[in-house]
Amino acid sequence: MQSIRRFIRPLLIPFLAILSALIVGGLIMAFFGDTSGTLMERLWRPVRAYQSLFEGAFGSGRGLSTTIRKMTPLLLTGLSVAVAFKAGLFNIGASGQFVMGSVFSVAVGINFPGLPPFIHLSLALLAGMLGGAIWGAIPGLLKVYTGAHEVIVTIMLNYVAALFAGWTVYAGGTQGQQPGPLWDTTAGPISETPDVLASARIPWIFGPPYRVHYGILIALAVAVFIWWLLYKTTVGFEIRTVGQNMKAARYAGIRVRWTIIFAMILAGGLAGLAGGIETLGLNHKFAPEFGGGVGFDGITVALLGQTHPLGVIFASFLFGAMDAGAAKLQFDTRIAQDIVQVIQALVLAFVAAPTIIYTIFRMKPDPEEVESAPTVNWGAG
Amino acid sequence: MRVSKRSFYLVALLAIAAMLFGACAAPVAPTEAPADDSGAAASDAAAGDAEAAPSDFQIGLVTDVGRINDRSFNQSAWEGVVQFAEAAGMSEDNYRYIETQDSKDYADNMQQFIDNGYNVIVTVGFALADATLTAAQENPDIYFIGVDQFQAEEVPNLTGLIFHEDQSGYLAGVLAARLTQSGTIAAVLGTDLVPPVVAFNEGYITGAQSVNPDINIISTYHPGGMDVAFVDPEWGANTAKQALDQGADVVFGAGGLTGNGALQEVAVAAEGGAQVYCIGVDSDQWETVPAAHPCLVSSAMKLITPGVGELLTAAQNGEFPGGNYYGGSGLAPFHDFEDSVPQEIKDELAQTKAGLDDGSVTTGYGQ
Repeated sequence: MQSIRRFIRPLLIPFLAILSALIVGGLIMAFFGDTSGTLMERLWRPVRAYQSLFEGAFGSGRGLSTTIRKMTPLLLTGLSVAVAFKAGLFNIGASGQFVMGSVFSVAVGINFPGLPPFIHLSLALLAGMLGGAIWGAIPGLLKVYTGAHEVIVTIMLNYVAALFAGWTVYAGGTQGQQPGPLWDTTAGPISETPDVLASARIPWIFGPPYRVHYGILIALAVAVFIWWLLYKTTVGFEIRTVGQNMKAARYAGIRVRWTIIFAMILAGGLAGLAGGIETLGLNHKFAPEFGGGVGFDGITVALLGQTHPLGVIFASFLFGAMDAGAAKLQFDTRIAQDIVQVIQALVLAFVAAPTIIYTIFRMKPDPEEVESAPTVNWGAG
Repeated sequence: MRVSKRSFYLVALLAIAAMLFGACAAPVAPTEAPADDSGAAASDAAAGDAEAAPSDFQIGLVTDVGRINDRSFNQSAWEGVVQFAEAAGMSEDNYRYIETQDSKDYADNMQQFIDNGYNVIVTVGFALADATLTAAQENPDIYFIGVDQFQAEEVPNLTGLIFHEDQSGYLAGVLAARLTQSGTIAAVLGTDLVPPVVAFNEGYITGAQSVNPDINIISTYHPGGMDVAFVDPEWGANTAKQALDQGADVVFGAGGLTGNGALQEVAVAAEGGAQVYCIGVDSDQWETVPAAHPCLVSSAMKLITPGVGELLTAAQNGEFPGGNYYGGSGLAPFHDFEDSVPQEIKDELAQTKAGLDDGSVTTGYGQ
């Protein structure tokens, strides 16, 4: 029994958080906005909405493919945030790392014609990881050598990355402003890169209109690798020890500084890979509006997944499905798609503050669990 | 204590499972009973699932990233759909919209309507041009209306609803030239990299000169690239301020947020007691920029709502034009300035509009 409890317990908070968010979201749909109809009709409305959301995400081949497409970058940015959490670091910079990964990947992807496909694609993906890793290493190094808090630095670097990316594809102005180095010279006034060469594109598993590429398999393999790294290797043990108690880790002879830097490089590389996969698999070019929003969603996904790689897989699947079903929800029920973001935000609130869940469901908090809740030691490092 | 807690978890898990399976199984129910149409509830879901009867005329609209009630292009286009549908007595289930959340979702959102057998799909905004063209080529039996999407090649089932920006610019120029006391008017514009902006400006200049050949016109394009030219209200405000300092007393702001910045700067001057006016662009900016009320006499509009209606009528009658279709241009209502614009100016504007429509007045742009 004890072992079952140990298995169930970490799933409990996420499940109850999702349940609570769906209930609160349902109440919002029932009692705000369209106030026509009887009470029963209004209470029925969220049920229909969730049904549409579900159908939109899973009810057809196209829905499923959209779910997978939306899940792929979330899985990797979620892992990025989760890995940093394990080392006691809060990586708000997945967005910027994602953008840098996109830019580095596209820079390799649009150049070097004539390379064999597999090699070109591998190089482009590695470039994406490198771009993200560099962007993750900066806050790691600054934290270790100057004490600058990684939260502040990663937030700032998001802006730097977005502006840098914007510059690389800048179309130039009419008064002598030079275009950026990656700009597509045939794009006229539009700031974007040329299309990635065919040899650097991730092949489709199912082509248009499904648009599912092999990126999902890469992402899943990476998730398993990260799980192995964190729980089956010395490096992973060091990362987790540093995250739990930095002083004890140092006393035990772990190279804390190196571990922090390594964790940030790893986190950045994962988010950069997300950008690379999204660019080489789906967008096939880079433009500023592609942005790094999934980097922020990665925070929610990581928390919902309890910062465990396997949990992150499920969390990203769930969020991908919600994003995929949103259009169908609006089509069927005329409820604004924003409700999906509201629900996702509620999930974040409930997961980040498990005390709310304990109070609502009259549970006795597990002392161990509260200690290790990912947001408890904010700013402690 | 332990037992009760564990049973509680069990209940919670069961509840979630029930929810998921319920969502899974439920879709059958509403489609079975579309006849008992007590509320919108049952029929809404039914229309989503059921295959449309071939005789049904169904219209879908996909917005650009943003809201349906943006008081701008999305809203104008949707109003066109609603007016057409109400006039045709269509059931509310047969015209719907999807608000785009992410520019990567354009194709998916259109597909939602395609999958449900819709006859006409309206897509709003230049940014959807590529996705709309692709969808139109893949679905030759569905009519597509691309609002503000210029068609370089003619696809028979796709019509770009575009506008003679020079004509609404011309009307704005006539109005500005009539209103000015100082003999100096100004235009604060987005970049000249974008043809419609140039058209607005050229029309504005010829329109003003048609009233007063010696009029002094300070028109300034934003010097930056596409990324900043339409989102730089600060530059717009500074440029408008400069123009006011140089004696301009009517300012035409045409360039997204940049133009709005100009309008707001002029509004500040007007609130300070100066006799100055501003003219907005694209949609009726009285609705979109409340801060400009002190000076906003009118806006040089693209008449999207009637244009969408005309194309929907054509689609219903099987006379869909394909290629490009020019919607009407005109000035927005004067709102609070209704009384301060003399009747003879209103008459002149009406005459000019009629002349532009029948071709007896030309703007000189593109000729």
